[in-house]
Amino acid sequence: MRVLQRSGTGITFVAAVIACVLMVGSNDVLAVPSFARQTGLACEACHTVFPELTPFGRAFKLNGYLIDNLPQVKEITAEKKETLLLNWLPPLSVQFIASYTKFNTAFPDPNGGLSQNGTVQFPEAASLFYAGRIAPNLGGFIQITYDNNSDSFGWDNTDIRFADQATLGQDKPLTWGVTFNNGPTIQDPWNSTPAWHYPFSQTSSLAPPQIAATQLDSIGNGTVAGLTGYGYWNNLVYLELGGYAAAPHGIQNVPVNSTSFPDGSTVHGLSPYWRLAVQPQWGRNSFEVGLLGFSDQVTPPGLNVSSGPTDRYRDTGVDAQYQYLGDEHILSAEAIYIYEKQTLNATLPQDPSNTLRSLRVGASYFYQRRLGGSLGYTATTGNTNTALYGLTSPPAVFVASSTGSPNTSAWAAELDYLPWQNVKLALQYTLYTKFNGSSSNYDGTGRNASDNNTLYIFAWIAF
Amino acid sequence: MKVGVCGGLGLTLVLGVASGCSTQGPQPPQLATQVCTNCHGPRGDGLSPAFPRLAGQQPAYLEAQLIAFRDHSRGDPTAIAYMWGMTSQLDNPTIRQLASYYAAQSPVPGVPGDQTLMAKGKAIYEQGLTDEGVPACTSCHGADAEGKDNIPRLGGQYQPYLVKQLAYFKSELRGNAPVMHAVTYKMSVEQMEAVTVYAASR
Repeated sequence: MRVLQRSGTGITFVAAVIACVLMVGSNDVLAVPSFARQTGLACEACHTVFPELTPFGRAFKLNGYLIDNLPQVKEITAEKKETLLLNWLPPLSVQFIASYTKFNTAFPDPNGGLSQNGTVQFPEAASLFYAGRIAPNLGGFIQITYDNNSDSFGWDNTDIRFADQATLGQDKPLTWGVTFNNGPTIQDPWNSTPAWHYPFSQTSSLAPPQIAATQLDSIGNGTVAGLTGYGYWNNLVYLELGGYAAAPHGIQNVPVNSTSFPDGSTVHGLSPYWRLAVQPQWGRNSFEVGLLGFSDQVTPPGLNVSSGPTDRYRDTGVDAQYQYLGDEHILSAEAIYIYEKQTLNATLPQDPSNTLRSLRVGASYFYQRRLGGSLGYTATTGNTNTALYGLTSPPAVFVASSTGSPNTSAWAAELDYLPWQNVKLALQYTLYTKFNGSSSNYDGTGRNASDNNTLYIFAWIAF
Repeated sequence: MKVGVCGGLGLTLVLGVASGCSTQGPQPPQLATQVCTNCHGPRGDGLSPAFPRLAGQQPAYLEAQLIAFRDHSRGDPTAIAYMWGMTSQLDNPTIRQLASYYAAQSPVPGVPGDQTLMAKGKAIYEQGLTDEGVPACTSCHGADAEGKDNIPRLGGQYQPYLVKQLAYFKSELRGNAPVMHAVTYKMSVEQMEAVTVYAASR
């Protein structure tokens, strides 16, 4: 869930930003019955198994969430131009996720004992959506989420877009549009990119945060908002370009201080985002391969925003997605590799150049959209830098890196049963081969990567 | 705002409806190019065997199916999942316009399938199955599986789609053509497979 920033003493800037990984790692959702209500289409029209999209689902998104089969409240001018087109019934929906999480070994508590292990979250997260048409050519995906960990509601994924159709070159269709959204890749139609990554869109929000994650993997609402323009030509080539600006929430939004707030960092100016993808389709197959990039300039917490030094990040990624949509069998696979170059003139002026790489691959199979599962592997690697990732004083137990290396890798497997299209019951296991730099004693207090192995059982209901 | 450009004008976008740019027959209705194409392919040529080709289909058949989706008299699973929603707000003039447009497109040529199945299928298609009470398909669907009036063209259609429809007719999941239930209710899976391979090849 991409809602709330974590804050707390004893966590380095990197860990604080990267605590967002906790949020990004869980509760990313694209499927909403709001769309089913608006379009009259069953979930399977747009989704393989939610939240993964089919080619038609991607077309629906790129066309502005506009396909509509509800009676409308309308108004037109004398020239027959539509000035109002509101669904008679609002396309609202709810999702509810309840779960049980158990780690291989309980986390240590601050008093030297062990914290509770094997806990239920009811709900872990619940969301309300408005998803669908807002006006002629304008549609939106708007999510408000209750997060159990913070016990509060927060603003979540939002993508409001204008879309239209043209032709370009011998009758070839061009879908084009402009999207206003609060995090790079929220607007992306493929499930290989971070915001809607699949499989394992839903993971436990209690899982310990990795010490480092790339900007694309971690930046989200609560930090930035952006405007991008895109075109999808001939159902084949996708190009998008735009930029993001700082859009902090709460008191951070009020410029009362020249210093970046302790709970978050300040993003400077315009952070460019670009995306290029090609998706041929043949028979029941579709295959996408693409590139994306994002770069930003950030003032870390506590430093002067207007005159102080900044940290620069430049992310470049390559991604791919394959889908086979049979009548009974569905197979899909996603992969993404992101390379990040960091120049940390503010956080680490004595040693500013660092690199970080993240890899995510996964594959899923479903039989009749009722029974199936997924297998995946993720890895984050980067240069060892004890000043950046090393032990703090006092040490941040179980989130630290005793070696100063951010390297984390994990396998994950999930078994899913969907008694109905909008109810998913899942059993998921994440196995860490390395965590924050090591497989054993990664935090200096004796915790091993395998101690973080997570059993996660959840029910995901959307209605 | 609908903008369009034809080949030769480069990237210039002009206001107005795209016209005269190598489409066949009547102007494509906006719905066809913006919505239907996503599953049925450009001009209804097809995209995935999950969704039938519409190009060159009999207009009266297309019209009847769109109405049947709208009034729910056709209720096979794919129809319910996709087409009930798609047609719920379509009015009759739009339905006729869509049907005329797709009917005017050139049908996709049939492709021969497995030789053994083709031979077996040809026999069923042209002579029927006496024991199972299956009449010759040619009597309604035509010698070239081109269809007529509200009886659909089968030639050039996706074979997996055709065989799925026969199964739906047999089980009565698709109930808007009672004559097809009478035709199929004694057919075996192998016979359905063979006859559709042949029909799709026409």
